[in-house]
Amino acid sequence: MKKLVSAPALFIEAGILLIVGLMLAFWYAPVDASSMGFSQKIFYYHAPIAETALVAFGVAFVAAVLYLRSGNLKWDRLGFVSVRLGLLFSILVMLTGMIWGKAAWGAWWAWEPRLTTFLLVCFLYAAYWVLRSVVDEEQRRATYAAVFAIIAFIDVPITFFATRFLPEGLHPVVIGPGGGGMAGSMLLSFFISMIGMTLLLVALMRRDLAIENLKDRVTDLKTSQGG
Amino acid sequence: MTIAEGAKYVASAYAIILAVLVIYYFMSARRVTALQRDIQLLEEEAKRREAPAKGTGAE
Repeated sequence: MKKLVSAPALFIEAGILLIVGLMLAFWYAPVDASSMGFSQKIFYYHAPIAETALVAFGVAFVAAVLYLRSGNLKWDRLGFVSVRLGLLFSILVMLTGMIWGKAAWGAWWAWEPRLTTFLLVCFLYAAYWVLRSVVDEEQRRATYAAVFAIIAFIDVPITFFATRFLPEGLHPVVIGPGGGGMAGSMLLSFFISMIGMTLLLVALMRRDLAIENLKDRVTDLKTSQGG
Repeated sequence: MTIAEGAKYVASAYAIILAVLVIYYFMSARRVTALQRDIQLLEEEAKRREAPAKGTGAE
C-alpha cells in the first residue's frame, strides 16, 4: 500500500515530459502566424488538459459499466476518483480557455459549440458529485452514481466532435483530416505535453485510489473498535 | 497582438495550471500522510485492547 501511495516515478516522468513539452512549445515551435499570435502558446497545455479530462470521464464510464456488471465497489471507487480528477482538469480547461479566448477573440466567453458542450460536461459531472453526497447507503450510492456516469458520458463524444460536426464555431479542429494545419514542431510539442498530462492523470488517479482505500481501512478499523 | 501583450495571457494561464496542480498534489500528499497516521494509531489501539484480553484469557 505504501509503495502504491508514494510511487513517485510516474509523477517524475510526467513532470519531465511536461517540462520538455513546455520548453519545446516556447523555444522550438514557432509563434502562430494567425491572429492568435503568441497567445497560441496556451494551446500546448490547454488542449492536452482538455483531452485528459475527457479520458478521465471515459474511465469513469468504463468503471460504471464494470460496477453495474459486477457489483464490486472497487469500480465505484475508480469511477469516483476519475470524475473528481476529470472535474479538476475541466476547471483548468475552462479557466485557461477563458484566458485564451480573451486574448484571441477579445471575449472571456462565447456560446459556441465546443465551449457550450464542455460547460455542460462540467455541470453534469458536478451533479454526479452532488448525487453521491445525498445517498448514504454504499451500494445504492454506487448504483445511482454508475447509472448517472453512463448517462453523463453521452455529452463527452458530443464535446469532442463538436468542432467537427459544427465547424462554424470559433474552435479550430486541431487533429484530423483537413484540420489544424500545425507545423511538425508544434505537433511534437503538443504530443509530448499530451503524453505528460496523461501520465500525470494516471499518477494522480493511482494516488487518489490509494487514498480512498486508506479511508476504507480507517472506517473498518473504527468499526471494529466500536467507534 | 504583440508578443508582450500575449505573454501576459500566456503567463496567467500557465500560472493557474501550475498553481492548481501543485496545490492538488500537496493536498493529496497531506491526506495520505494523515490517513496513514490514523491507521497506525488505530492499529496500535487495537493491539493494546487485544493484549489485556489475551492476558486475561491465559490466566
